[in-house]
Amino acid sequence: MLMIRPRMASGTQEKQYTPSLLSFFIYNPKFGPREGEEEKKILFYHPIEIEKNEKIRNVGLCEAIVQFTRTFCPTKPAKSLHTQKNRQVFHEPEENYWMVMVVRNPMVEKPNKDGKPPTVEYQEDEIIDSVYGSVLKQCYSMYKLFNGTFSRAFDAGGVELLIQKLEKFFYRYLQTLHLQSCDLLDVFGGIAFFPLDKMTYLKIQSFVNRVEESLSLVKYTAFLYNDQLIWSGLEQEDMRILFKYLTTSLFPRHTEPELAGRDSPLRPELTGNLLHYGRFLTGPANLKDPDAKFRFPRIFVNTEDSYEELHLIVYKAMSAAVCFMVNAAVDLSREFCEQLDSLVGPQLTLLASDICEQYNINRRISGPEKEPQFKFIYFNHMNLAEKSTIHMRKTTSVSLTSVHPDLMKILGDINCDFARVDEDEEIIVKAMTDYWVVGKKSDQRELYVILNQKNANLIEVNEEVKRLCATQFNNIFFLD
Amino acid sequence: MPSHPEGILESSDPTSEENPRTQDHQPDLQKLHIQSSETDSGKASQDSALDNGHDDSGEFVVTMLARSKVEEQGMGTKDASSPLSETGTPLGPPSHRNEDVTADSWRQHRKHVFVLSEAGKPIYSRYGSEEALSSTMGVMMALVSFVQSGDNTIRSVYSDEHTVVFTQRGPLVLVSVSSSRQSEQQLRQELLYVYNQIVSMLTQASITRIFEHKKNYDLRRLLAGSEKILDGLLNLVDSDPSILLSAVHCLPLASSLRDSLSQILQKSITPNLVFSILIAKNQLLTIVQEKTVIEDARLEPSDLHLLLNLIGASSAFQAGEIWTPICLPSFNPDCYFYAYISYLDPPECTVCLVLLSTDKEAFYSVAECKRKIEEAMQTQNALNSIAKAHLYSVSQVGVSDLRHFMYKPFDVPDNHRQLTQFTSPEMEAPYSSEEERMRLLDLYRDMHSRIHSTSRPLKLIYHVAERETLLAWVTSKFELYTCFSPLVTKTCAINAITKLLRWIKKEEDRLFIRYPPKYSTTPNPSKSSKSDAH
Repeated sequence: MLMIRPRMASGTQEKQYTPSLLSFFIYNPKFGPREGEEEKKILFYHPIEIEKNEKIRNVGLCEAIVQFTRTFCPTKPAKSLHTQKNRQVFHEPEENYWMVMVVRNPMVEKPNKDGKPPTVEYQEDEIIDSVYGSVLKQCYSMYKLFNGTFSRAFDAGGVELLIQKLEKFFYRYLQTLHLQSCDLLDVFGGIAFFPLDKMTYLKIQSFVNRVEESLSLVKYTAFLYNDQLIWSGLEQEDMRILFKYLTTSLFPRHTEPELAGRDSPLRPELTGNLLHYGRFLTGPANLKDPDAKFRFPRIFVNTEDSYEELHLIVYKAMSAAVCFMVNAAVDLSREFCEQLDSLVGPQLTLLASDICEQYNINRRISGPEKEPQFKFIYFNHMNLAEKSTIHMRKTTSVSLTSVHPDLMKILGDINCDFARVDEDEEIIVKAMTDYWVVGKKSDQRELYVILNQKNANLIEVNEEVKRLCATQFNNIFFLD
Repeated sequence: MPSHPEGILESSDPTSEENPRTQDHQPDLQKLHIQSSETDSGKASQDSALDNGHDDSGEFVVTMLARSKVEEQGMGTKDASSPLSETGTPLGPPSHRNEDVTADSWRQHRKHVFVLSEAGKPIYSRYGSEEALSSTMGVMMALVSFVQSGDNTIRSVYSDEHTVVFTQRGPLVLVSVSSSRQSEQQLRQELLYVYNQIVSMLTQASITRIFEHKKNYDLRRLLAGSEKILDGLLNLVDSDPSILLSAVHCLPLASSLRDSLSQILQKSITPNLVFSILIAKNQLLTIVQEKTVIEDARLEPSDLHLLLNLIGASSAFQAGEIWTPICLPSFNPDCYFYAYISYLDPPECTVCLVLLSTDKEAFYSVAECKRKIEEAMQTQNALNSIAKAHLYSVSQVGVSDLRHFMYKPFDVPDNHRQLTQFTSPEMEAPYSSEEERMRLLDLYRDMHSRIHSTSRPLKLIYHVAERETLLAWVTSKFELYTCFSPLVTKTCAINAITKLLRWIKKEEDRLFIRYPPKYSTTPNPSKSSKSDAH
């Protein structure tokens, strides 16, 4: 018994809780303007178990906050509410449609002696508004990608249809939000581009042209390799959210066969196709299956003007993935899919191994990778290009970063400082842990570097970043 | 004792007087006597515990003495006007009290500040009348109590244009609506200043007691006329970095001159005198403290800021001698000091003497101290020397590219007992206009909030912007903010800072009060002087 005591003592350690989603709701004040009808405003409320009056009260608070801030500026209402225990983020993506996300602040539970309940300490300054504001906007964009706008649904089928669509989408989508690992990359919502030599790039472009010519139903095409974009015919904003869907949701669900590797003897048996490695990631899992369904997910693009509804066909061979988008009014048949498979499969297989070879040659030329003294994030607002050596992996379940979360938040702070002015700026800070963090903004580009040289001085840090800019970014950043 | 806190304002008839310094004349006197009492014994014991057993716990007295001129201005006949209200010719811009609160111009103010009671009753608004804003303040209170009802506390609301910060202190709710982009922490600190300024006039114990008796009491009845003081405080908060740095700005002075001024103060004492403070051009010249007081606690910069603001905001104090109770909230929020305030160089009114006593009856003996001080200063021609003292130019440091800086040392002798100080040169071109000065201060405020972030503090920030380059640096020995021309290189900036630190070291006897002098006025020094002071 005596032996157990120290362990019991260690059981009384502090418990740290990461931020988590408390609630998420969508309302439109115009739908229940009269007293007693407040419930009608609420279009979606998570968690569903919350009692009706509680829902009405929480929606009422948001309305009051928004109204209150209009006293001081009618055109710029509240974006967020900070309380001791939680953070509420507001977004009005379409007129009078409000989305609210309530996130519980991270907290530390400190045990008390004598069986008293533990003391809870909320860490109120850990959550960065811009990060969670971006997550909320992403929620809307993702909904819109698969469902179109709120107002279209309302026009088509009234409140009932809208509520039905919202419930169907958000019930599942909210489970994929991992609020504890959201960071600066969510603010950028950028696209990772695959670095490629001109020759290979031209090969890909001509492949896209050939396919679009042969399959005239295809309206837009996007080409990705290794979860990175190479070519896209979509508008930037649409590609941005589609990219997010592909890389964080669709691809991670289909990684298994690729894990076996190209030269693995297991491969041919696995796919059962000796001619090529192509397969559909959306639509039919197996073309040879007589019961195969030829249904593809529908997406909505260009919602601001032409408002197009499309079939999303994602076809993959090894590490190369192609999205073909076809007008949703057309019924896609088995014949079309077979034609696509036989046309695209062999070509894409060939192309994928070409890219792979080229990629390996380039890597060899640039020499063996030394463990660099720095890690960086780069983002270009003009083409949404994003690059991070901080994030090791970004999947549906978790985003792994190789640096301390506090450093990530310092990056977020610097980004907020940059957002205040349009001018070019540079900020260098030394953290309490003696890490140096450098932020540079030039034109539409932003670069953030974390340096692990604790004894370096400001001038040495500057030299290091200069070298990085010269080798990685062709001296885009010219300040100082 | 009367049983209601309100309705017991009484003002004694002012008696006209020629010269308050001569003993056989009575000074102009306006006395406001406000009393509250306990209605049951339980409350009484609770209150006395709160007040550390002061004999006048249920009472606070505001007294003002002014010269005979007051009568000419018709002030002496005003009934029950607050002693802290504007009595002389108004200085500064006209009041914003009558603004149209629905107009765009009202919305466009950089920073609104509201004070209200828990019952939602307006107490103060920086712009626009409290009456016109009563519904807006009602909404604020509703938001506070709604969140409270969910066992939570509202902190702030952010929009693209504004940051709204809520804070509650006892029965008062304070709200800041700011488009200045200052951090929440800074705005909250400013609201705390506003609260403390109110406490400095009424004491925290009285505020608590009043609202315990009557939840919807209209506190404006007691603060009538003191809006100017809060207005002044908020202007100070916006324009003076001392509040940001929580430090006091000393007027640079040859150490020999500062020492001789200190000695004059040291020699002119009377029982129960605890602080003797000499101020010129709103900056500290010297401060002498009672020995036993200093043993227990030091004067906090914030208390001195409140005191300075009180003096600066009311031109009534320029009229002659003032004897007024004042609470120093950081020192002890529940009791009063009695402040004797007098300008030594009328009519310019730039050099001000403040003597704080714990004895409310000590006016005449404290006034006598002032007479001695004035005499000694005359003998040494000290006023002339003080008049020559002024802020320095950054060019004296001799570092090109350096435009401005703020330096707050931590390595002063006896640091933990000293008043925190900082030094800073004049703001010169390109920061000579009001607008540019404010912009530079805002840049400093940004850096300050990042480097002192509660969750992610930093050691150093180097910020290259379009119009200037800034560097903020916090070590165990000092805190430094510097502003350079935009094209300075990092090497140049580092060299400049080395030079600057050397220059400050060389000049430190002139820039700071290094060894604050003390005196002993209490015959039987007691350890508990802090709680005895009232």
